[in-house]
Amino acid sequence: MTTVDATTRSPLVVACLRITDLHPEVDLLTGAVTRDGLGVGLSPADAAALEHALRIAEAWTGRVVVVAAGPRYIVPVLREVVALGAAVVRIPYGDDASDHGQAAELAGDEHGLARAVAAALIPFGTPDLVVCGDHSVDRGTGAMPAFLAHELGAAQALGLVALTAERAGQTSGPTLIAERRLDAGWRERLRVPIPAVCSVEGAGVRLRRAPLSGALAAGSAVIASAPATTTTTHGTDGGADSWADNQSGSVHIGATRAFEPRTRVRPAPDSADPRIRLLALTGALVAHDPPTVIGPVGAAEAADALIGFLVRHGYLDGPPTPPAPPTPPAPIDPGDR
Amino acid sequence: MTEPSAFDAVVVGAGPAGSAAALALARAGRSVVMVERGPFAGSKNVYGGVVYGRVLDDIIPTWWNEVPVERWVVRRSTMMMTEDQSLAIDYRSHAWGVAPYNGMTTVRSHFDSWLAGQATEAGAQLVTSTVATGLVRDSAGRVIGIRTDRDGAELRAPVVIACDGVNSLLAKEAGLLPRAEASHYTLGVKEVLDLPAEAINERFGVRGHEGVDIEILGCTRGIPGGGFLYTNAETVSVGVVVSLPHLAEAKVRPEELIADLKAHPSIAPYLRGSHLREYAAHLVPEGGYDTMPTLAADGMMVAGDAAAMTLAAGLWLEGVNFAIGSGYAAGRAADRAIAVGDCSARGLASYRADLENQFVLADHKRLRKAPALVLSERVQQRYPGLLCDLAEGMFTVTNPTPKAGGLRVTRAAAAKHGVKLRELAVDTIRGMRIFG
Repeated sequence: MTTVDATTRSPLVVACLRITDLHPEVDLLTGAVTRDGLGVGLSPADAAALEHALRIAEAWTGRVVVVAAGPRYIVPVLREVVALGAAVVRIPYGDDASDHGQAAELAGDEHGLARAVAAALIPFGTPDLVVCGDHSVDRGTGAMPAFLAHELGAAQALGLVALTAERAGQTSGPTLIAERRLDAGWRERLRVPIPAVCSVEGAGVRLRRAPLSGALAAGSAVIASAPATTTTTHGTDGGADSWADNQSGSVHIGATRAFEPRTRVRPAPDSADPRIRLLALTGALVAHDPPTVIGPVGAAEAADALIGFLVRHGYLDGPPTPPAPPTPPAPIDPGDR
Repeated sequence: MTEPSAFDAVVVGAGPAGSAAALALARAGRSVVMVERGPFAGSKNVYGGVVYGRVLDDIIPTWWNEVPVERWVVRRSTMMMTEDQSLAIDYRSHAWGVAPYNGMTTVRSHFDSWLAGQATEAGAQLVTSTVATGLVRDSAGRVIGIRTDRDGAELRAPVVIACDGVNSLLAKEAGLLPRAEASHYTLGVKEVLDLPAEAINERFGVRGHEGVDIEILGCTRGIPGGGFLYTNAETVSVGVVVSLPHLAEAKVRPEELIADLKAHPSIAPYLRGSHLREYAAHLVPEGGYDTMPTLAADGMMVAGDAAAMTLAAGLWLEGVNFAIGSGYAAGRAADRAIAVGDCSARGLASYRADLENQFVLADHKRLRKAPALVLSERVQQRYPGLLCDLAEGMFTVTNPTPKAGGLRVTRAAAAKHGVKLRELAVDTIRGMRIFG
């Protein structure tokens, strides 16, 4: 794991942004989506990610690199990012992916996109922090930051509402303090080690405006493109650990196959009435447990209730000592329907 | 406040006037920056009309090969209507449908982006999402730049060209624009309705990229103004433009006027099955020649809507071409002034002279009395019904009663609408003097 040490190298904070047409036209009849590039911009989450990256880089006296995957029409937005003082690299993606010989069809391939982003960052060095919007640069699934953390061998903290830099202690390097929503209005506060990949919600911060001098200078800035390669060949960077070598905390994917549930043979419904047979096949006449609130209770009691439910419905074996089950509703009389 | 930047010229607004001004300056080798408040050129513009491109012939040769056009207008219809009647003069030209064309419908966000792109390709710089908040003056009171809302930073240049649209704040601050008077403005409101291209082609009798422009009188409940219906590629624009003080006096909401127009038996069949895509409203400076501001001051010029260049003269309803013409002339005048080192009002005086020698001020001057006639009570409230009744009287077959003569039908229609034949003759002569 790397630590931020300003005496040996400048910390690198990366904002990985999803820049897309925020107002695409959707054909009401066919569902076809038309993008003309005029509505292109940052989503609130991505704007927040960029602002967090800028703030943390300021706190660490570090550099900011923005990486975004998208067609040529995202370039004006990247110029606005340049105006904020960040270095920028674009991965051709989508409409003009054919710009590069190694172009990959990255749409819908979060893992491939994460590899491409990691590869695009190699010239800049090893990132200490990557901040993404919680909709990420893929089709908005939010899965890409996790894949990127895997690629970089970094810790991950996703879906955050706050992210601040914590100063280095006497025995440890600087870390990050993050906040994430919990149910019932609670929040959990996390201390995130670096290197890390964090995704943030569009909340809590507002993206700063570029100064006029920055906006003027950005008008003639060259936006670098990185090949949309999915092969990462990371080297070391100023003593930093190699990403490829630093996989100890990563998820390793073994052999995988598609999930194929076994076919269950069910007896044919015993009725001459097709409607009754159909109702029986669909389970419409079977009483179901309604949602049950058993709390507030302690953790052990809640676990007992959950295990009891699973045992009652045949998902678990064993001698349960379930709490009194809730009164099931009366079976529905088909005649009432 | 940051260090001011030095340019030869600052253009405020990247609409047609601003982009044309920047294009002229950039082609002359001047360093020019366009400041646009929207995120891209055209993002803040509302327009429901036809753009006449002849003005572009000298600026961008064969512009029609690259301009983002929706449809080329080949049918122009002027319609007068009452609640249940309509009379139209319909003109169609094959020549308008082939290069070099006459008029086009276009989406302004596309058109303005294209024109601004011409300017930036020529070397102008475009800064978006930036508002000009005021003028910077030197100790002698001359305009030497603008302040922006980006940290209050300034852009300095010997010439500022204000193309910031109707109700220009910069022109007001410079003391060029007189106190706004509501009677000099109209309110344009429009709906853009989705309609498949096949339906548009079938209903309006066009094909391919051919389009239709229908201008309508008598559809605004007597409020001075008019209506319009334009065909785009896969949408139609329908709306009204009405006098601001009269609209307020009538206590009618503008969307009610559009609803009336859409439900009219002569219009409804065109729009059947369409879906609302967007609604927009905008002020239009229709006061004409007599309401224009002083066009140049020390270090500053005004062009486009900011200078009330929209021509609303009944038969002719034009704006974008006047904006381009005035903007380009302003850019060239700025170049000449910079070349001789005199950007005072005197040094920029060639701007007005240029406009008077071309269509911009020549047309406005010739048609200066048209707005008053077109928006007069008789033209707005009586003549549409009179003409419709006249047509009905002439075309209704009254057998076995013998046909009435034209004069008799005219007298009856005039009497029904409270128009004396003398008034009709007076207005006819006025019209001939203005438009003749």
